[in-house]
Amino acid sequence: MAQALLEQVINGLMTGSVYVLVALGMVLIYGVMHVLNFAHGVLFMLGGYVCHFFFTRVTGSYVLSLLLSMVVLALVGLAVERGVFRPLQGNLRNQVIASLGLILAIENLVVALWGPNALQLRVASTETLVALGELRFPAHHLMIIGITAVCVALMFGFLKWSKLGTAIRATSQDRNAAMVVGIPVEKVDMATFCLGTALAALGGALVGPLFLVFPQMGDAPMVKGLAGILLGGMGSVPGAVVGGLIIGVTESVSTLFLPTDYRDSVAFAVMVLILLGRPQGLFGVRVRGEA
Amino acid sequence: MRFTILLAACLAATAAAQDKVAVGVVTSLTGPMAPPGKFQMNGFNLAAEEINGAGGIDVGGRKYLVELKVYDTRANPAEGASAMQRLTTVDKVPVVLGELHSGVAAAEAPVAQDYGVPLILTVPTGPNLTEQGNRFLFRVNASNDQLNLALADFVAGQGWAPLSFIAWNNDAGRGGVNGMKKLIGEAKTGYVGYFNVGDVDFSSHVSNIRAANARAVMLFMDEEPGSLAIKQIRDAGLKTQLIGTLAMGSDRFLKRLDAARLEGMVQYNAFPPNANTPRIRAFSERYKKKFGEEAHGFAAQSYDGLMLAAAAMRKAGTVTDGKALREALASLEHDGVIGRIKFDAKGQAHPPVYVTQWCANGTRRILYPEAFKADCGAG
Repeated sequence: MAQALLEQVINGLMTGSVYVLVALGMVLIYGVMHVLNFAHGVLFMLGGYVCHFFFTRVTGSYVLSLLLSMVVLALVGLAVERGVFRPLQGNLRNQVIASLGLILAIENLVVALWGPNALQLRVASTETLVALGELRFPAHHLMIIGITAVCVALMFGFLKWSKLGTAIRATSQDRNAAMVVGIPVEKVDMATFCLGTALAALGGALVGPLFLVFPQMGDAPMVKGLAGILLGGMGSVPGAVVGGLIIGVTESVSTLFLPTDYRDSVAFAVMVLILLGRPQGLFGVRVRGEA
Repeated sequence: MRFTILLAACLAATAAAQDKVAVGVVTSLTGPMAPPGKFQMNGFNLAAEEINGAGGIDVGGRKYLVELKVYDTRANPAEGASAMQRLTTVDKVPVVLGELHSGVAAAEAPVAQDYGVPLILTVPTGPNLTEQGNRFLFRVNASNDQLNLALADFVAGQGWAPLSFIAWNNDAGRGGVNGMKKLIGEAKTGYVGYFNVGDVDFSSHVSNIRAANARAVMLFMDEEPGSLAIKQIRDAGLKTQLIGTLAMGSDRFLKRLDAARLEGMVQYNAFPPNANTPRIRAFSERYKKKFGEEAHGFAAQSYDGLMLAAAAMRKAGTVTDGKALREALASLEHDGVIGRIKFDAKGQAHPPVYVTQWCANGTRRILYPEAFKADCGAG
């Protein structure tokens, strides 16, 4: 039992890490622009496809493909911000509708370019096995956890100490006040979007080799990432990290006690329970005037 | 101008010399079932080519060339029903063959009955299809019940209880698990886990299988999830005996994984393309020559389907009367590539079902039935 528990905790940390990468991007964008980008899941998926493209067609180095896919998706994020979200600024309803439209547009674009069938991405780290007592994991599993941890640490440092990071925090605290002190909030919007989509691309490119690259691969991480954000507290970066990991670990461990098809229900039941006790989420701050 | 007239005259002359019979085909040329649809069409095309190469079907002293009237039903029941309607009312074909998807076949079958045109299925495995009392429906291939029965018979002799399952969380998966449970007995059933279509992470099933000390795991799924599940089970260090379905006994499946992970796995199979049986060997050679790849069960079943339709036309002495063809089909015995085909009262044929096993070098051996047992390279 202890062994199965350990195995599921490690599996949960891995899936949780992927949720964290999605949640981080969404929470940053939400913080700065106050809009939930529902297309974040398909950007995650696009990251997987772009990585597959670079890996099989261009370089052959997985690390390089990973970085290139982040760069490409940062540019896509830039285009989405400039082309879709900025023109609709101030109109939350239309922004949400536009992000739902983006899902259809990007998913069908991918199907048109790569076809509807799942693609395999064969990299060495999924073939190398690491033994932990009697348990064995593909090295890629642990790599995902490690890379996410590094990204989270870098993100905290960036937000805390860098000039741009401080500007992002300032903008998300009070957009008008940030403008008053001379922060170029529109540049902050762009930077945040680039960062967010690059993180989503990293998630997609990391998960692709472990499983498959297919058009619906971003659906579950997007929904679970969103649950993680709600659980951690809307707009809170540490909340997104903790929330994503809690969702990942609980749903994995639950399968030892409940039928596996209840896995998703468990994740959301945990979210509902925590929100009943703490409506602002674990790390959220209650703002006067907001429900 | 003169040339055109000449050409038209020539065409008219050949048309008169050679009668044609159009045979309906429903299959998937696009959509999620397009890859298996290709195997099905290969089988029909090969059969049509061989019939026509031999001068056509001899019906009452006249030779008829076969012409395939193909409709793409795209794994969509509505498309299937309307294609069937067109074939029977507009194209007026005497017989329709094919289909891949059991749900689509269920929508096509009533149309066949309404218009009195036999529908010969060559791939769908849903057991219910032949239980509806539809006299115009025939199935060449084995149904899921027949496949399960053979597998249960094989497994019973292996001492692999308790048997665990990972299965689709849908009709096919749950139906398959329940069917097997009934055959092997609840007591010999271990862990049963269902996954939703589109799930790719099987890690929770892996932990549960390890915890249940399962001797064997049966995977009720197709190629894509199958390859992921096998990789994850083997990577986690589980030595459990793996039992797979039709989709997992082909070279195509090997390409998704590797021989080391597959070694020892068994799966039921409707057609071992490399078996040392003359009828299979001859077919596989012709198939490979024409299409440049390993023969596939769906192709063999479809090839037999069209040959059977031709035999029915010869026997009934008609290329237009669907009802006469139905009577001919019901009583026909045909030595096909997949084995002897004879429909029972429900329109179901009973071809042999095989169990094959992966060898260390990436070939397959036949373990079941006893009469066809053969070593590595034969499966």
